[in-house]
Amino acid sequence: MSLPADIDQPVLMPHGRRRTELVMLGFAMAVVLFAYSAVGLGLKGRLPPGLPVQVLVFAALMLGAHLVVRRFAPYADPLLLPLAGLLNGLGLVMIYRLVQSGRDGNLGARVTDLSTSATTTQLLYTGVGILAMVAVLVMISEARVLQRYTYTLGAVGLLLLAVPALLPASHSVVNGAKVWIILGGGFSIEPGEFARLALAVFFAGYLVAKRDALALAGRRVLGIDLPRARDLGPVLLAWAASLLILIFETDIGTSALFFGMFIAMLYVATQRTSWLLIGVLMFLAGSWLTALLFHHVMERFTIWLHPFQGSNPTNASFQLVQGLEGMAFGGLFGTGLGQGQPYHTPLVQSDFIFSAFGEELGLVGVMALLLVFGLLVQRGLRAALAVSDPFSKLLVGGLSFVLALQVFVIVGGVTGLIPLTGVTTPFLSQGGSSLVASWILIGLLIRVSNSARKPASQPIQDEGMTQVVRAA
Amino acid sequence: MNRALLRLSLVCLAMFVLLLLNINYVQAFKASKLAAEPGNIRVFDQQFTYQRGAIIAAGDGTDLKIAESRLIKGTDTYQRYYPQGKVYAPVTGYDTIYSESGIEQAENDLLAGTSPQLAVHNLTALLTGKQKQGATVELTVSPAAQNAAYNALTSDGGHAAAVVAIQPSTGAILALASNPTFNPNELTTFNGTTLNKVDHRLLTDPSQPLLNRATQETYPPGSSFKIVTSSAAFSRGLVKNPNSLVDAPEPLRLPNGNDLINDGGEICGDGHPPIIQAFWMSCNTAFGELGMKLKAPTLRQYSSRYGMNRPLSIPLPVVPSVMPDTGSWLDPSLTAFSAMGQYNDEVTPLQEAMFSAAVANHGKLMYPYLVQQVVGPGLSVIQRANTRLLSQAVSPTVAGYVQSMMYQVTHNPGGTAYLTAGPQATGGITIDGKTGTAQNGLDNGNLDDAVFTCFVPGSNGQPSPIAVGVIVQGGGFGADAAAPIAVQVIKAYLGAHS
Repeated sequence: MSLPADIDQPVLMPHGRRRTELVMLGFAMAVVLFAYSAVGLGLKGRLPPGLPVQVLVFAALMLGAHLVVRRFAPYADPLLLPLAGLLNGLGLVMIYRLVQSGRDGNLGARVTDLSTSATTTQLLYTGVGILAMVAVLVMISEARVLQRYTYTLGAVGLLLLAVPALLPASHSVVNGAKVWIILGGGFSIEPGEFARLALAVFFAGYLVAKRDALALAGRRVLGIDLPRARDLGPVLLAWAASLLILIFETDIGTSALFFGMFIAMLYVATQRTSWLLIGVLMFLAGSWLTALLFHHVMERFTIWLHPFQGSNPTNASFQLVQGLEGMAFGGLFGTGLGQGQPYHTPLVQSDFIFSAFGEELGLVGVMALLLVFGLLVQRGLRAALAVSDPFSKLLVGGLSFVLALQVFVIVGGVTGLIPLTGVTTPFLSQGGSSLVASWILIGLLIRVSNSARKPASQPIQDEGMTQVVRAA
Repeated sequence: MNRALLRLSLVCLAMFVLLLLNINYVQAFKASKLAAEPGNIRVFDQQFTYQRGAIIAAGDGTDLKIAESRLIKGTDTYQRYYPQGKVYAPVTGYDTIYSESGIEQAENDLLAGTSPQLAVHNLTALLTGKQKQGATVELTVSPAAQNAAYNALTSDGGHAAAVVAIQPSTGAILALASNPTFNPNELTTFNGTTLNKVDHRLLTDPSQPLLNRATQETYPPGSSFKIVTSSAAFSRGLVKNPNSLVDAPEPLRLPNGNDLINDGGEICGDGHPPIIQAFWMSCNTAFGELGMKLKAPTLRQYSSRYGMNRPLSIPLPVVPSVMPDTGSWLDPSLTAFSAMGQYNDEVTPLQEAMFSAAVANHGKLMYPYLVQQVVGPGLSVIQRANTRLLSQAVSPTVAGYVQSMMYQVTHNPGGTAYLTAGPQATGGITIDGKTGTAQNGLDNGNLDDAVFTCFVPGSNGQPSPIAVGVIVQGGGFGADAAAPIAVQVIKAYLGAHS
């Protein structure tokens, strides 16, 4: 076999596309700036007084993040940071809009559980989130080093999940969900958001180690490869754990995300469809059982199926109905930022922030938002496909999927597609834990996409030739 | 693992596609349905920030505003105002911050501008930055007739009563009044506490001012139902023509052993009078006997042909006037009572007007309606009344027979309404009618209800201009209490339309 003529030419390095990232980031910042201005113009007909400072701080954070990526992950996917930045910025804008409602002489009712400083606080959390992402990029040079901490992180994840269940209600319950650690001074953490990341690492490490046994052993029944009974152990454990979350923390959403992520990663690791079937069946059976046993789970189903029946719109399904009517009120093009009435919907700043976007940005606005989420998920899955290390592949595949699942669960919930469960809308919802965890997730995606896109450090040998080992 | 990852990507894609489809469903396809959900706060908050359409009484050729929205000075809020106060309350109804009634309710989506028919206009308004506006609803009501009706009812000494006037050839409602009534302006306040107080007072008022007696309350028709019985008898050939003789014993012995007697035990002619005489004298026994011969199903069939036994929408909802077919209705003894408008027969004042309207229009009963047309904010007509046949009650011949009998009621010195609706009382206007004096209450212990149904016959090829139905609760003898009210409405209407 003859060598190509240009074999001795220097290999053209695919450039890192950092400039693309910067341009896209600038574009995202421009959208956020215009949206922020639109809120002020919609509410009072003039620009918000806090606009220059807050937008500058936000832009500086994003620029800082970009510089860190440039330095520590130069080959990373250039869309990840701008997409996340856009979502985070729009979330800030909507929180600012909701804070303004009924305050400073603006129309509308106050969103009572949203303090006047919520925008600043959220900006602060954005900073913490960016720092966390930077820490991931700086401290973790390759995602696969996390594999060493498989069981440590597994234990941490379970502990984080369990803490709210063990704490007294006064230190763990907010709005009926026992998923918090309330530290006092108005500060609280939702550990489940971080537990999900830790458990993703644990699942990835565990499954990479055990995938052969899980994938190959077993019998074939009716064309489906059934696993061995003893291999069912971890699945049952995950199932039981998610059911326990559901029962003791009254949190169906987290439970669904947790179990969904596990099943998806199990499927990717083993490529066995039977695991998917078993998982989905177990989840349905678990939901059905808990619906029969627990009133609050059954109520979710009733609200979902009959939101407008009888006295439901003014009682049980008030929140859902307000969200739906708000979105309908927005129609195709929305009322415009600051000009709708999203404040009628309870918890509009967290669970129902998507319906507030629907009301004020209209169908076109929320379709764009969903596409941004979709693109983010797609870039994550792309990194998982491209990376060669199985652990990284599994980890990023699972994290991307759980991001998609989270969007599906909450957006599907507030739009009446599926029963409503309280999970946060990534990047958009008010609240620090979710935002910081989401940025850590972006850090991991950036890290793995960097590995996936990094050109091989050594010239690739031509097949058929003897391997050349070069001295360093 | 890549194969599984690709499949997982497809699952993610499917989830996003589902979400996209669903938000399209919520925000585009189902949006108007969600906007119309009762208790939609957003639509509620918005409803007073633009001008709701006016309601106009256009029956006399000129426009009289009977409901309009006025901008409150110094605000951007519109408040509903009813320039005619109580007079049109049973027609317009009210529009409070919480709910509507009457035309305000029946035409709410057009008045509020939320109707799909106004979608194009609303979109234009949105794009051009103009304010959204509701459509104007023009009613068939004649201010002359309506005022006369209101005045006649209120000067009657406070009896609960209602009167409805119809144009027989079209079904257009010319007047619809009910007493006691309410002032809708009291209910337009934005203050929820004040509104609740007014609402509570109106709801607990024993005289039931919110009740629209013209369409929502039924009374025994009494002898006015003899129009139906004689129509059935003529149509079935049981009685050949108005001069055919009928049996009118005094008393009429019923199969169950009871006696049916004429009013005051009066002998009806010679006991075998022509039906026309039995009709103008309103003999009970003659029509009781006919009813038993016709049997209940036939009577009921003809009551249906006159528009009974079905709900109507004019577009105010109208409770059905009924001759029930339940219980002991096949008992011939009870059929005898049914045939003269007692036992279980129940009609609305509107139905009384419809009896006459059908006869006046040669047997063709037109569907009654209130809305002549709806005019969009751009002055384009977006909805026009289409007159339609409700039913062919009787043949033109039979209608002619019944008309000739109704003529005698007011023109024969022995007719029950000769003194109150005859030529002397009307100043020369010809009115054909039928009285009714309906017993009601337990053991007929209440005061009799006075009933009168009548019309001005057409002349010189012109169709009959007006038919009127009146019921005065506890008014006593139909000719004395009810007929003068009808005469006043007719005089006022013809005065404005001569």
